[in-house]
Amino acid sequence: MSSGILEVPKGASFTKFNTQHQQKWEDPSSTSDYSTRIEPPFQAFNQTSQTQSLLLCNNQIKVPMQDGSVNDLLQASKIQDWDPSAMLNNLSFLGQKIHQLQDLVYLIIGRKGQVLGRPDELLVQQQQLVTADLTSIIVQLISTAGGLLPSVKQTLSAATTSLGQCGEFGGVVFPSSAQGLNDGVQPQNAGGSKVSEPPNSVDITSNNGNEQSNHIIEEHELKDEEDAEEGENLLPGTYEILQLEKEEILAPHTHFCTICGKGFKRDANLRMHMRGHGDEYKTPGALAKPTKESSSEPTIIKRYSCPYAGCKRNKDHKKFQPLKTILCVKNHYKRTHCDKSYICSRCNTKKFSVIADLKTHEKHCGKDKWLCSCGTTFSRKDKLFGHITLFQGHTPAIPSDEIKAAPAGTSDGATNKVGSVNFNLSYVSSESEVQSSSMDIKGGIDDAVGYFSPLSFDTCNFGGFHEFPRPPFDDSESSFAFLLSRSCNYSQKSGEE
Amino acid sequence: MLSFQSSKNVLSLTEDLLVRIYELLAAESDRKSFRLVCREFRRIDTLTRRHLRVIRIEFLPILLRKYPRLQSLDLSACPRIDDGVVSLLLTRVGPGSNSPILGHWAWGLKSLVLSRATGLRFSGLEMLARACPCLESVDVSYCCGFGDREAAALSSAVGLRELNMDKCLQLTDVGLAKIAVGCSKLEKLSLKWCMEMTDLGIDLLCKKCVDLKYLDVSYLKVTNESLHSIASLLKLEVLGLMACPLIDDVGLQFIERGCPSLKVIDVSRCEGVSSSGLIFVVRGHRNLRELNAGYCLSELSTALLHQMKNLNHLEVIRIDGARISETSFQVISANCKSLVEIGLSKCLGVTNMGIMRLVSACINLRVLNLTCCHSITDAAISAIAYSCRSLVCLKVESCNMITEKGLCQLGSFCLLLEEIDLTDCCGVNDKGLEYLSRCSELSCLKLGLCTNISNKGLSYICFNCLKIHELDLYRCTGIGDDGLEALSNGCKKLRKLNLSYCNEVSDRGLGYIGRLEELSDLEMRALHKITGVGLEAVAVGCKRLADLDMKHCEKVGDSGFWALAYYSKNLRQINLSYCGISDMALCMVMGNLSRLQEAKLVHLSNCTVEGVELALRACCVRIKKVKLFAPLRFMLSSEILEILHARGCIIRWD
Repeated sequence: MSSGILEVPKGASFTKFNTQHQQKWEDPSSTSDYSTRIEPPFQAFNQTSQTQSLLLCNNQIKVPMQDGSVNDLLQASKIQDWDPSAMLNNLSFLGQKIHQLQDLVYLIIGRKGQVLGRPDELLVQQQQLVTADLTSIIVQLISTAGGLLPSVKQTLSAATTSLGQCGEFGGVVFPSSAQGLNDGVQPQNAGGSKVSEPPNSVDITSNNGNEQSNHIIEEHELKDEEDAEEGENLLPGTYEILQLEKEEILAPHTHFCTICGKGFKRDANLRMHMRGHGDEYKTPGALAKPTKESSSEPTIIKRYSCPYAGCKRNKDHKKFQPLKTILCVKNHYKRTHCDKSYICSRCNTKKFSVIADLKTHEKHCGKDKWLCSCGTTFSRKDKLFGHITLFQGHTPAIPSDEIKAAPAGTSDGATNKVGSVNFNLSYVSSESEVQSSSMDIKGGIDDAVGYFSPLSFDTCNFGGFHEFPRPPFDDSESSFAFLLSRSCNYSQKSGEE
Repeated sequence: MLSFQSSKNVLSLTEDLLVRIYELLAAESDRKSFRLVCREFRRIDTLTRRHLRVIRIEFLPILLRKYPRLQSLDLSACPRIDDGVVSLLLTRVGPGSNSPILGHWAWGLKSLVLSRATGLRFSGLEMLARACPCLESVDVSYCCGFGDREAAALSSAVGLRELNMDKCLQLTDVGLAKIAVGCSKLEKLSLKWCMEMTDLGIDLLCKKCVDLKYLDVSYLKVTNESLHSIASLLKLEVLGLMACPLIDDVGLQFIERGCPSLKVIDVSRCEGVSSSGLIFVVRGHRNLRELNAGYCLSELSTALLHQMKNLNHLEVIRIDGARISETSFQVISANCKSLVEIGLSKCLGVTNMGIMRLVSACINLRVLNLTCCHSITDAAISAIAYSCRSLVCLKVESCNMITEKGLCQLGSFCLLLEEIDLTDCCGVNDKGLEYLSRCSELSCLKLGLCTNISNKGLSYICFNCLKIHELDLYRCTGIGDDGLEALSNGCKKLRKLNLSYCNEVSDRGLGYIGRLEELSDLEMRALHKITGVGLEAVAVGCKRLADLDMKHCEKVGDSGFWALAYYSKNLRQINLSYCGISDMALCMVMGNLSRLQEAKLVHLSNCTVEGVELALRACCVRIKKVKLFAPLRFMLSSEILEILHARGCIIRWD
């Protein structure tokens, strides 16, 4: 597949943003426009007429500057952004609905007082009606609020399918046209800007059914896009599959200067570079993002396939799961099918194939002192214990350096001990010749001159012993000489340490 | 003890009959006599013996070879055991080099007591855990060096059901996690004083070892989080939370809703727990058998009392240190009819009337602790004696108003009484002891500070209470040599005796003490009349002597210490402070007593620094704890101090 195909979605997606940005740079008055977009919740309290006039004024400024198609597009997206009159309609409708429901419930309460405990078919039906109405009110309320708050968008996308079924409100709530919808459906590329993303994703998805809903998420999560799309249920055939070649994926640059041939990672950087090649590249039109050719016809959703045969992300795989963007493809291919060439300079163990992953790791490297037996490290003890709780058979690992340190410190003492005990035990086993052998063994074990030096026998007077008969329960260890010699042996050795 | 007149009778008994006879012998001393009868008897002993407690590590290899069917091995008395010994025991090759006895003893072993085995480290424990496939119970309490690595080694014993890790100071959550994951069948676990433990470890434990029935986390710095985890244990029956400073009533609320099998709970000395916390516990567990709430309640509130009405199965209650009203006793006795033990030590408001109401219904009471309930008189004691005929233990320390009348009632009705603490009861006199001596089952009698008793009173006790094994005569200045003579004639089973400050006792008295063969603990501080002769008699006679305190016995000369060094082979603890021992004798004592672990050597006026140094050198391989005169810190050679430190010996400077 050639890079020509690659260009198509990018150009298309840039069109809208480009025009808008340009508008802002050139016209200071459009800052008000900007504010309406950024802070939709505040708008809710403003006068509807005022906002509308603002919008109108914006449009008037734009008209002479842009050609017709772009203007149409802009207007469409404006209306779609936030329509206070529609909102008002919506709210009043909701109010009516709630009042109706209130009356119904009053009625039910009145009946209950009259005929207590009688299973009434009518009552059951009314209850069902109430619940159904309540559900629809809730859903509608959420969607109305969701139109205002960009942060609610994600949760809304799940609720929209049921909204679509409600049907009856569709026309009231979402006055957007199919034309406006297509703007949002464009696959994002790496240069996509969040500011320009309209807060109208709800509208789109509700009208288009389950065609596509998650496209906003992928923009927020540059790194985890592979996981994020797990929930996506695109029917095979409803999207176009593109597959890049390995060389294309791994190429450091995707944009090349047509004059000098220099490569760039981003189109914007290329355009900045182009300015150096002459004044014709400095015009606003040349510096603007390339626009979409035509946004009037619905764009086919594009998904990407990994060129690696047998990979789950390869289109020939039985359970093929497509990748959403080119960035996804690049990261996926590098992570899964390439060598991990970036090694952490701190720990020298962790390897990565994507440099961003290495940077993320380096932020935390060294802090992970909690280690599981499976090799996973954690920066916090409670995280490790949570992990151990979850996985059968995993235990916290005791750091290996401790193992080395522990015997090293006591090795001398330990061997010493073993030696002495060994001596002791062998001595005991030859029980029959206790007294006679004790001196022999002692002599045999150590001939060192200073053996008894710390506690010479001369200082001890054994004369006192003769006063007492041998105890009847005499055991093998009763020999004083043996005991003292052993203890001295120890002190002697440890003194040499 | 068995005695056989004719060898024919002995031989005519078949092996299974001999085994039966052997199994009927309860006391260890009787079994010893049995196996000394003849070879055949000794063979029976070796074949049937299941439990072994080793006193001297030197005999361990022989003993293990001799008793192949051991199920339980207690090594707590030989703290010198270390990794080297274990490896020798397990890999030891017999006289025939490929004999099948290679670690054979370990195969059937189920219980292993390694308490205080500070020398044992992970390699030794790992060998043991691998060699004993049937291991079910391990006790490593007071092994100060026991840490995470040791726990990891022990966790390879997957069949472990009981584990005691009290005072394993190095143990952290990581070690506990090793145990929890490795030994998931654990049913009984004690973690007292494992100060490094936190909520994380306890939480993991509760998730991995769901069969836990007994858990003791006393003295730990765990919080209510741990109680939240513990509440999920469905089989837990016994929960020890003694002196956990960070738990409070909120935590006990978790217990109310969890632990459906809970029967015993101990929250004594928990600063944060109040009666509302106990209300939670009592409300959630109607089947509670034992409630220990000593020193955490200021008052037994009516709300708590109201909840306690439902505890019909309660057997043991201890509310030491709380204020209690007379009506409370009425409520308790009316509802908790199965009470067996009541602890009211240092309670305020305990009166005669209250006790009378209490015992009127609690007729099954076996243990009653009324320590420091000063307003108790003979009336209460009489009521107790009359109602609780099965009373076994009564503690009335510092109840000054008790006289011979009360003891008379006890002697008349409580014939099962085994233990009575009359310390500091000035009202006790010879007559009282005469009445008390009718309790012939008495085994523990404490008469400390009872200055009104004399030899005569003691002789009544000695004549009738032959089962006494613990007697406290601290500062009973009326007791002299004659009393001890009676003691040596009657109480042959005496194991523990306190004679401190009984000034009248002389060498003759100690001569009688020497006849007590079972004596293991002897405290005889400040007996100014005794000399070396007396000590020699004790040393020669009391072969089992393990703990000797002879502080301030200034007249005892070297001859006594020589004897001590020569005969008292089983001595483990000794206090020689303020004694007139010489350098030479000290050296002999410390060097020759091969089981000595703890020595207090303060203010030895006849000893030089060199003498102490030599003595320490002589015992440095085995001593665990030593108390020394503080200035010696700078006079003793650094070498010996380093050796002691390296050996894990704790030095206390006084």
